[in-house]
Amino acid sequence: MDPVTRISFNTHVLIKLPSDNLKICELKADSDISLGKFGAFRTNDVIGFPFGTTFEIQYDNLADDENIPNVKKVDASKSSKEKFKIPVGNLKVIDSNFLAGRIANGSGSDEEFTPQPELQLIGNSDSNKNLINIGSSIQKLSSEEIEQLKLQSASGEDIINKMIEAHGSFHQKTVFSQEKYLKRKKQKFAKRFTVEYLSSSGLLQYLLDKGDVVRAMDMSEESLGMILNLANIRSSGTYLCVDETGGLLVYAMLERMFGGDTNDTATGQIIVVHENEHANLDLLKFSNYTEEFIQTHVKTISVLEYFEPPKLAEVEGALKPLSDDELKAMKSNKKGAYYRRLKWYNGQLNIIDWATKLQYDGLVVASTLHLPSFVPRLGERVHGSRPIVCYSQFRETLLELSHVLYDDLRYLAPSVMETRCRPFQTIRGRLHPAMTMRGGGGYLMWCHRVLPVDPSEVKAPVPFIAEDSVTTEAKKQKTE
Amino acid sequence: MSQFSEYKDLIQAGDLALAWISRDNIKPVRITPGATFNTRYGSFPHDDMIGKPFGSQIAVRTRGSNKFGFIHVLQPTPELWTLSLPHRTQIVYTPDSSYIMQRLQCSPHSRVIEAGTGSGSFTHAFARSAGFVFSYEFHEVRYGQAKQEFEDHGLLRDGNLAITHRDVCQDGFAIGKNDTTTFFENLQSDDGVSPAKIDANVVFLDLPAPWTAIPHLEEVISQDSKVSVCCFSPCIEQVDKTVEMLEKHGWVDIEMVEIQGKQYESRRQMVRHLDHALQRLRDVRERKQIGLERRKRMFNKLISDQEEPYEERPETPKTEYNPFGKGSRVKEGDTGFKWKEVSKVESEIKSHTSYLTFASKIVEKTRDETLVTKITDQERENAAKTPIPTKGENKKGKP
Repeated sequence: MDPVTRISFNTHVLIKLPSDNLKICELKADSDISLGKFGAFRTNDVIGFPFGTTFEIQYDNLADDENIPNVKKVDASKSSKEKFKIPVGNLKVIDSNFLAGRIANGSGSDEEFTPQPELQLIGNSDSNKNLINIGSSIQKLSSEEIEQLKLQSASGEDIINKMIEAHGSFHQKTVFSQEKYLKRKKQKFAKRFTVEYLSSSGLLQYLLDKGDVVRAMDMSEESLGMILNLANIRSSGTYLCVDETGGLLVYAMLERMFGGDTNDTATGQIIVVHENEHANLDLLKFSNYTEEFIQTHVKTISVLEYFEPPKLAEVEGALKPLSDDELKAMKSNKKGAYYRRLKWYNGQLNIIDWATKLQYDGLVVASTLHLPSFVPRLGERVHGSRPIVCYSQFRETLLELSHVLYDDLRYLAPSVMETRCRPFQTIRGRLHPAMTMRGGGGYLMWCHRVLPVDPSEVKAPVPFIAEDSVTTEAKKQKTE
Repeated sequence: MSQFSEYKDLIQAGDLALAWISRDNIKPVRITPGATFNTRYGSFPHDDMIGKPFGSQIAVRTRGSNKFGFIHVLQPTPELWTLSLPHRTQIVYTPDSSYIMQRLQCSPHSRVIEAGTGSGSFTHAFARSAGFVFSYEFHEVRYGQAKQEFEDHGLLRDGNLAITHRDVCQDGFAIGKNDTTTFFENLQSDDGVSPAKIDANVVFLDLPAPWTAIPHLEEVISQDSKVSVCCFSPCIEQVDKTVEMLEKHGWVDIEMVEIQGKQYESRRQMVRHLDHALQRLRDVRERKQIGLERRKRMFNKLISDQEEPYEERPETPKTEYNPFGKGSRVKEGDTGFKWKEVSKVESEIKSHTSYLTFASKIVEKTRDETLVTKITDQERENAAKTPIPTKGENKKGKP
């Protein structure tokens, strides 16, 4: 089974709830996942379905099951934990667009042009002129009664239908407002969820929903996408990267390069330069690449190691790798120590390579360090003609950077850019931009690394064409 | 390997390169020994470029004026190509194309349908990332041009792009052996089944009437995984019809968005303090005063009939106090003055490119029960083998 298209065990997935909230879950065999008031389900019941499938949690057949808690007579022998355990329901695959509201925007794109089935039997009004606001007393069901309904584990639909029945002036609402009502209630009572593949956009949305805007550096999906394109990220490149988002950027690069396929044989690598003792790529824990895969394709090096790499002579002086024969002769109690030293030795050699030998196919920076002093130095090891993309939450920091790069002949045409996505309420006949949207989203600086010539080496043109071949000959010799 | 898919070190004869003359003047150049690239900044012999690394600045001194003229020779990327390409049609610019690729999760795992090809700018970006791209163009001349271009750029040789001459609105997307297509030209024999197995999971429709193409998608999209579509239309009426058709054919998660890309110019504004302005006016007033007094004296002399009322005009010294360089031409950023770094939106922005209508569909929402049972049993077996029972693991997925 392909873990990129189908829901699989031992992977992290994104779960979309009726409230438009997101959750990241790891699917372990034979375990339950609780979605709070929306119910709970067994992982085994979702395995094998394609990503994007929406499920409804049903309790009908379980009505007599001991799993259903009864508030009035709590079994005292159960532990307190189990008392509040949310009952696990059966799942039914939903084949409608109920949960359509896309992750990025809960702006009501899930409403349909034709009234939803629940509304078709109920009258509605052309206008709301007869609608008088008398507050919550219009709803004849009390909140206790609704709670009771929930405890009886009536399906979300049942509860909503009962509420509509008991609503005094529902028929006086316009279809538009009825639909809004329905949507609000569904967000509250529906027991549905959608299992999505954990894409980089999904991970970003998850962080933003959680209020982790600072961690994501206020980045928007459109800025993230633009970074990947402007930096020309492809599966064969070796990229230098600074990622202060805790791994979001690196994950997005990995996804673009390998598409979540842990068996991908492409050779691309990301060298992550970090300012702390250890790199923070915490978010990669959600990724479904194997640890081995990540170790092959993501390397980390601190700014100190990068800018002040160890000297080759010192490293080679500290250890001489042994030949196989010597190794065999070695006592086993010494071998452990030797291997530790060898690991260190190889690590140091790698650092020397990354910091002094490699030429990078691109530089991608999302950092809050002072960019004008940081980026030009990182750019030194970028190969000619390769892009440099720098993300910042603030335009001013990039502006400052662009002025510095503009004066540096090694960087071609630094540009400060912004991209913003404006979502629309997408209902036929009622298309309009969403009334509110997330502000911010950050800015980008894009330029290319180039190799300037020394102006003193530029010769005056030669007057006769006949001599051209001679000078080019001379030039060729010079370059060789 | 193509000019686009391989990272090249040195500029070689036969390479396609981009000569960056200025921000809005980037020209494709096929490197040919003996040839010259002419611009108004000078003539650049290709032989000067050959053997140098990509990204090299190539400079000449122009005849006569002996001015320093230069270009930068870059290796093409889809984004640079977008800035330089010959427009056959309106093109999809990077803010739009990058958002679409991100939202449609473009990766080696994607099998992309693109209709129509147009100027081929987005095709280059898709081909860089996707597992396979099926591009369709209904205009015969443009098909020929695009095919030639993809050939020249090595994209067809890379083996993950096929272009087909087809009106997809009329005739759908299926590709057979008798069609005008590159699909069967660049394939290993065992893939050459007809009609081609398209199995797309990413669809991009840049057509005047995308709603007429939507019904044809059923037969070529992946049947057992989520398929995402993006329709690119400039008019809101097109969006309305597209949404209608998408709903009718069972596409869900329909959302339309608009992308606004902006570029900022990095500029400097002179820092001009009030005190300096005051001081400058005081300076002006003082000089005026001197002049007035001189005229007063001359007038008084004239009244009192003194001889020689004319007083020699004193030599005006060059303004000593001119904090802002008024009257002289000051270059932005002149080090003799203080500057504040500022930014300004470019003078013309693309205020509307197109509306992007996204939707998704899963054709078969089923699972293979026997396979799932097998996998579950396997999992249990594995769990039993692990020395420590998976005590903590059940909790992991929970809040």
